[in-house]
Amino acid sequence: MMENNTNIQAGKGIGFERIRRITGYLVGTMDKWNDGKKAEEHDRVKHDIHNA
Amino acid sequence: MQKTGVRTITKRDGREVLYDETKIAKAILKALVATGKEDVPLAAQIANEVGAALSAKNSGQSYLIEDVQDEVEKALMRAGYEDAAKSYILYRAQRTNVREANTSLMKAFDEITNADARQSDLKRDNANVDGNTAMGSMLQIGSAAAKAYNSAYLVTKQHAQAHTEGAIHIHDFDFYSLTTTCCQIDLDQLFSGGFSTGHGFLREPQDIQSYAALACIAIQSNQNDQHGGQSVPNFDYALGKGVAKTYRRLFTENLLKALELLAPDKEWSKDQAKLLVALAEEKAGTGPKLALDETYLASLREVLLPMVSAEAADQILAFLPNTTEKETDRRTYQAMEAVIHNLNSMHSRAGAQTPFSSINYGTDTSPEGRMVMKNVMLATEAGLGHSETPIFPIQIFKLKAGVNYNPEDPNYDLFELACRCSAKRLFPNFTNLDAPYNLQYYKPGRPETEIATMGCRTRVMANVYDPTRQTAFGRGNLSFTSINLPRLGIEAKGDETKFYQDLDNVLELVSAQLLDRFEIQAKKSVRNFPFLMGQGVWMDSETLGPDDEIREVLKHGTLSIGFIGLAETLKALYGHHHGESDEMQQKGLAIVSHMNDFCAKKSKEKGMNFTLLATPAEGLSGRFVKIDRKKYGSLPGITDRDYYTNSFHVPVYHPISAYDKIQKEAPYHALTPAGHITYVELDGDTADNLEAFMAIVRCMHDAGVGYGSINHPVDRDPVCGYVGIIDEVCPRCGRRAGEPIAPDKLDELRRQYPQITEFCGCH
Repeated sequence: MMENNTNIQAGKGIGFERIRRITGYLVGTMDKWNDGKKAEEHDRVKHDIHNA
Repeated sequence: MQKTGVRTITKRDGREVLYDETKIAKAILKALVATGKEDVPLAAQIANEVGAALSAKNSGQSYLIEDVQDEVEKALMRAGYEDAAKSYILYRAQRTNVREANTSLMKAFDEITNADARQSDLKRDNANVDGNTAMGSMLQIGSAAAKAYNSAYLVTKQHAQAHTEGAIHIHDFDFYSLTTTCCQIDLDQLFSGGFSTGHGFLREPQDIQSYAALACIAIQSNQNDQHGGQSVPNFDYALGKGVAKTYRRLFTENLLKALELLAPDKEWSKDQAKLLVALAEEKAGTGPKLALDETYLASLREVLLPMVSAEAADQILAFLPNTTEKETDRRTYQAMEAVIHNLNSMHSRAGAQTPFSSINYGTDTSPEGRMVMKNVMLATEAGLGHSETPIFPIQIFKLKAGVNYNPEDPNYDLFELACRCSAKRLFPNFTNLDAPYNLQYYKPGRPETEIATMGCRTRVMANVYDPTRQTAFGRGNLSFTSINLPRLGIEAKGDETKFYQDLDNVLELVSAQLLDRFEIQAKKSVRNFPFLMGQGVWMDSETLGPDDEIREVLKHGTLSIGFIGLAETLKALYGHHHGESDEMQQKGLAIVSHMNDFCAKKSKEKGMNFTLLATPAEGLSGRFVKIDRKKYGSLPGITDRDYYTNSFHVPVYHPISAYDKIQKEAPYHALTPAGHITYVELDGDTADNLEAFMAIVRCMHDAGVGYGSINHPVDRDPVCGYVGIIDEVCPRCGRRAGEPIAPDKLDELRRQYPQITEFCGCH
């Protein structure tokens, strides 16, 4: 029964995991980040590498 | 007792109690005793005067406790006991502090107990503690209580105020009276002869797998003695010795197996095999090891010949080295896999935290050390179960020209592997032994002279206290306090002279506070640190007995002054930040040089290691700006975001090329010897381009960045196990966050990925 259930519902209610580096440490889920760091991560822009 | 008109006293909580003059006399006596005058009749007499004064003011009323205390102060002054009056005032102030601390403490306990961590910033102060669990909450309650105690009893009023008002931030304030931050653990020294964790003695390990297990235990043990991240500076050198022991043991075992198979006419024993291995070693002057010497094999052949046929001997020699090497490699991989798994799942600190671990490697060119590095990176690449990205340990690859940096270098292949691994799993980061400020200490073949980092960025090397011991091993940071630099910029209102004057005042304040804290730390004894000091992990601690004060040996550590928000400071002072113009870059460098010079001057003056830190600012980035926005309003480019920019970084929102960012930030690395890091943010596609990835690492190295890493999105769908970039829809299973996989897609995935036993993602 469980098997059937997961067949239909596999993944329901489960989000994606987004690993980010925060002050040198990696953090597996942003749930545990404080508000300041969440805002910082949100604002990050990518750096292009044309001159690198 | 003389009758007065006063009948009751109203206490602070509103309760009314009977007026009792003996209680007042007792309090007065305490103040007198504190100034060396134990005079009971005098105390009674002054108490009597207090009663008279109160009743003269208003008879028949209930008095507030504050009024009674005011009268006591006055009566003491009138009677000419000014010192006693001062001591009484101090006592009152202290009681008020404690009372206030208790009230806010209970509020904090309430939040820890009842709030959901997802909604509470207090509970997410440290991203590595799960504030929703029982042990996590207990740790937070302890931490809140320690903070309240420390600010009420231990810290001077001036320092406590500067901290509370957000002029400075005393890091790890909960551990103020308890311990120091971090230490580079020399595993090689620790393992030789075995060691005690403080909970039991462990023999010297004899196999790479026990080396790996003990490495984790050492990190865990030290995590319970200090409050910061724990680090191994010589992972390759130290664990390489375990590989050598494993090789030798497997070599002997394989010889026995080969003899049993190829010379079955004789009885063979393990002891015999050991003896043969040793005899050959004696003859050759070298033993069985990776990259086996031809002379050893020749000697072994000679030793074997009297006992087995020439044909059997040749077969044995053909079989032994390759098989043993393969098996050693396999065991090393398993050992490294165990390190990664253990460090992500083992708990310390009341079970609430995985140890904050770092491992440094890159420069050991021995075949054993190379095998360790290769396998730790392969195990990291493979990830944890369900292909999860390992969060710990932080891995640091030491770049050194002549060792691993150039294509002709012996460890260049490992540098390439490090880039590949980092492009997938974000680790390793890269330290730069060639940067001039690191190179000056470097001595080839002496791993203790190679810069290593711990935790998020901390490093030690220079040693003012003992210039003959400028090495990384057995040392670390004692404590650090950060300056709210943007506030000084705002307060200066464009006046550069005022800014530097204020900065000097804060630098003095912080250095005094660090020394106060050192006084507390220095009075501890070896007994307080059963592993760190008891096992001689910290430099020179092996010379102390269990009850000895640790003052002198602690002086090998660093007292660090940190800063945050150079970009916002420049904005406030001059209108632009250093990412925006070269002129501002010069201004930024001037500010940071000024702070670094102060540290150098202070170090000379005190004979201790004051160092400047580019503060990581996990909780701090939000804390300072919150207070400042309340104080100064929302100032564009300064207080209008929810965070101050990390140390000297170009703001994360500022568009700049990777190359320019590196050039801008590199010069600050030379000025922040307590620790620094530069990040470059790449999109996923660029990170997949290994050539581009390595080009950025090389660019950092050549620009003089001391420690750098490349950030790129690493997402995972826990349901189908996909690792990579997931925007809205998972590229593998086609679901959105929170949605189930479509049933026909699920059947297709089951056929396509038979190794995935269940598509669930639920733990």
